[in-house]
Amino acid sequence: MLFTIVTLLVVAAALLGLAFHRFRTTREEAKSTILYTEIVKKYLAWLALRTIQISRRASPKAWWGYVQRLPLWREPILEKWLDICFYGSFLYLAASGFFFAIFIPRGLFGYPLIGHVMAGGLFAVCLVIIVLFKGRDFIAVPKPALLSLTLLDPRKMGITAARVKLWAFWLFVLAGFLLTLSALLPMLPLLRTPGQRFMFEFHRYSALVSTLAATIFAGLEIFARPRP
Amino acid sequence: MSRAGRTSPRPRGGALLVIAVLVLAAAAAGQVTAPGGATDQKHLVWNGDRTVPAHLIPLRDENDELIVPTETNPLPYSARFTCGPCHDYATVRGGWHFGAKTATTDGRPGEPWILSDPRTGTFLPLSYRAWPGAYDPKTLGLTTWDFTLLFGRHMPGGGPAEPSDEEALAHPEARWNVSGKAEVNCLACHNRSGRQDHSEWAKQVLRENLRWAATAAGGVGEVGGMASRLKETWDIADGPNLDDHEWAVVPYVNYRTVDFDSKQRYFFDLNYQPADERCLACHSVSPAGETQWSADPDVHAAAGLKCADCHRNDLGHAIVRGYEGEAAETGNRTAESFTCRGCHLGENAAGEKTVVPGRLGAPHPKHTGIPLVHFKRLACTVCHSGPVPKDGFTRVRTSRANRLGVYGVATWSTDTPVIIEPVYKKDARHKIVPHRLVWPSFWAKKTGETVTPLLPEVVDTLAGDILKPEERVSLTLAALSQVMAEDEMPVLVSGKFAFAPNVDGGVDATEEDGAAADRPAFWGVRKGLEVRPLVPDFDPAAADKDPAIETRFQELLQALGTVAGRPGEPAIVVRKTLYRFVGGYLDIAEAPAELAGAAGPGWLVDGTLAPLAPDFDIRTITAKAGTERTLTEEQVGLVLGALAGTAGDAEAVYVSGGRMFRLGKNGTLVSDSQAAAEPVVWPLAHNVRPAQQSLGWKGCTDCHSGGSDFFFTQIKGTGPLLTKKVEKRSASAFMGLGGLFQRIFGLSFIVRPVFKLVLAVCAFVAGSLLFLAGLVALGRVAGFLEKR
Repeated sequence: MLFTIVTLLVVAAALLGLAFHRFRTTREEAKSTILYTEIVKKYLAWLALRTIQISRRASPKAWWGYVQRLPLWREPILEKWLDICFYGSFLYLAASGFFFAIFIPRGLFGYPLIGHVMAGGLFAVCLVIIVLFKGRDFIAVPKPALLSLTLLDPRKMGITAARVKLWAFWLFVLAGFLLTLSALLPMLPLLRTPGQRFMFEFHRYSALVSTLAATIFAGLEIFARPRP
Repeated sequence: MSRAGRTSPRPRGGALLVIAVLVLAAAAAGQVTAPGGATDQKHLVWNGDRTVPAHLIPLRDENDELIVPTETNPLPYSARFTCGPCHDYATVRGGWHFGAKTATTDGRPGEPWILSDPRTGTFLPLSYRAWPGAYDPKTLGLTTWDFTLLFGRHMPGGGPAEPSDEEALAHPEARWNVSGKAEVNCLACHNRSGRQDHSEWAKQVLRENLRWAATAAGGVGEVGGMASRLKETWDIADGPNLDDHEWAVVPYVNYRTVDFDSKQRYFFDLNYQPADERCLACHSVSPAGETQWSADPDVHAAAGLKCADCHRNDLGHAIVRGYEGEAAETGNRTAESFTCRGCHLGENAAGEKTVVPGRLGAPHPKHTGIPLVHFKRLACTVCHSGPVPKDGFTRVRTSRANRLGVYGVATWSTDTPVIIEPVYKKDARHKIVPHRLVWPSFWAKKTGETVTPLLPEVVDTLAGDILKPEERVSLTLAALSQVMAEDEMPVLVSGKFAFAPNVDGGVDATEEDGAAADRPAFWGVRKGLEVRPLVPDFDPAAADKDPAIETRFQELLQALGTVAGRPGEPAIVVRKTLYRFVGGYLDIAEAPAELAGAAGPGWLVDGTLAPLAPDFDIRTITAKAGTERTLTEEQVGLVLGALAGTAGDAEAVYVSGGRMFRLGKNGTLVSDSQAAAEPVVWPLAHNVRPAQQSLGWKGCTDCHSGGSDFFFTQIKGTGPLLTKKVEKRSASAFMGLGGLFQRIFGLSFIVRPVFKLVLAVCAFVAGSLLFLAGLVALGRVAGFLEKR
């Protein structure tokens, strides 16, 4: 129950945060006032409007068109299949894992569980390849830090969308690593029942972190991408 | 009158005088005190003393009179009046072992009583508790008297064996007045003496010596006589039968006077906690065919625990059964401590750490590497109790179903009913639990969806001779054996088997090496390993024939003439010569034309020679020979036809092997699956195996493999009916799990080592890269890398 509540809150916060980021960076009315209450009102009005607009436009055909226009399909064959396996396995893992964790009291079982295990292996392999060959693209180049009180001021920390995206990438890798570890260790004759119990919860919360990181990364990536 | 009260007060004239004398004598000697009052709390509240007091106490009979063993015709002792003064009898008799009829909760299903009658093919689970699949004896018309005679052999007295006066009077056909009631037999459990004899108890119950049974079984005294042979008008106040010292001898007791002191007090060698042997007298379960020396005890017993260490109780004898959920059902919170989880993990049924673990030194299990789902979906007993799953399951015999533990001249134990374990099935909490299983088999009347079983006696009566081919063949063979030499045995040979009479009035089949299955039947004489025809082929007209043959024929015909219920006069036909036994002499004559073609021994019926045993009998016993089956489809069809005539609007059916058989429209036997034919199961908990023998010790593939016995062994319906129409199920289907999924999941364990290796490599590489990336970021933040 606790995991369900935490999951819902985290996902809602991530989506609302991404939407607010878009609102602040694209809408003039967001800059027309410095009063927080006014900003929130305008944000909520914009959010409601956008939700209605998107829902009117959303259809299976529209989604399929969107998927077809993704740059993924134009990549070289190895990268294309790597990305297909990576995204596909992650989406299945997240969908099956969270659906059963939230809606099915018994948890993940049966054929979806077998699929989850298989997709988990695929995801781990893809993640390692991506980190090995693409990780260098996400190494940030910060200035050497100076010892001053500005280190504690969020406005002077240099938090930009690009940097958040980099952090999200590495957070995702870290969560992926922990997911792999927490899937592997219970299968080995190492952990007793409390250890198994801990690893079970650890796996779930690692999954939540990875989903959060992926959502932020994808949200910022999609937002930054020029409209097709 | 003591607080325990009298159950059947009777007016007595002379007895009053005797009582008065006894009381005065006792009072004068200052040796006997009246039984304590029920409100004497001293005996209800433990004072902290951990010893068991010496039970040197006066014996009292059912009239609450002191027993003086040297008196003439003393009565048996009564637990109600001997033990009752200190241990409130009314409280005790409400306990688990005695309160099936009056209990407010039925508890988790346990082993039902099984009404067994192989001849009618009846194995019917019964219970006074409303357990799934078990029928209430009352609905079958079984009175407490019937029930006691059927199952009293393994009952500790009380309960149905001690009905109320109103109930006893309501069934005048019962003989409670003669037998007395079998009171709660305290000694059955608490007697430490090696004289406690369960076989004696069973024997006394079968003799209807119910009020004497505890005295005899406890070794308190020697009991003779049989209440079952007394007239129904006999009353215990009538005393011995002076006219009959041989047959209808009134039960009597010769007390072991050596165990009495000078004050007429008897020494009971008692345990506070019953010894395991006492429990196992009724609760033994052993794999069929296992040798005694190779059998291991329960791991708890091997560690020094007694049954009663966990299955404990207070004076109310509401014995802790030890299953999860019992505490909530019964309100007895202590029961939480004595489940597997309670004792070993300190958890209650909900998994909360509310119980102090480690009682009696219970070790805390490590369960290293066992995924959590196993603890959610499986009871502890799945991996730790009962035999290891094997192909076809393990057939076991239990004390109560197979009448174990009763020894004597006759063989009491039986191979049937067939009980198998461990059958894994979900319980009410949706946890998989190992069960014992028996397929019910019985005749019944079916009205709509209501199935009402018929008692074996009813079926036997209505079926007439259909169910008695073995009996008829045995009668003929037994008659012939009268004229056999000591080393000869008359047999009926048919197919691969030779049938000889046995002491139970049936026939024993012996398979003959090399015999063809279609060998024609003939009557023979077995001498050693050789079987020769009863009637040899010879030429009666030959001058050199053996003169002894005719003497032999005369003996055979004379013997056959003693067969009860024979259809006609015995005769032997050899090559157109008819031999008969007429007026004390052998009559030899030419066979009439009606007997042309006839040969061998037979019965002259309406001028024809009928075989000694009808084809039906020979066909039936030959088909069943070498099997445990007691009925053929032909017999079932015939009996169903016989029952149909008395069933009225109801339909006569027979249940066996998980199928319900009925007569189809054209008179053929048809079968289908019905709820009433479903197997009856009850959870098992013992024997608990050592950790190294538990499932999973050798790895996941103990259960998760493409063809593990745990998931994929087949359960086939068994029953008395010789048929191929039996229910078949896989173990996984019984668990309510998909067989295909379990097979795929099991096969995945073939590649699991590779999968683990891949994950380990991935984790190592990803972790290393993360570590390096972290170092790079740290170095740049610190300015180390910029400087380079």
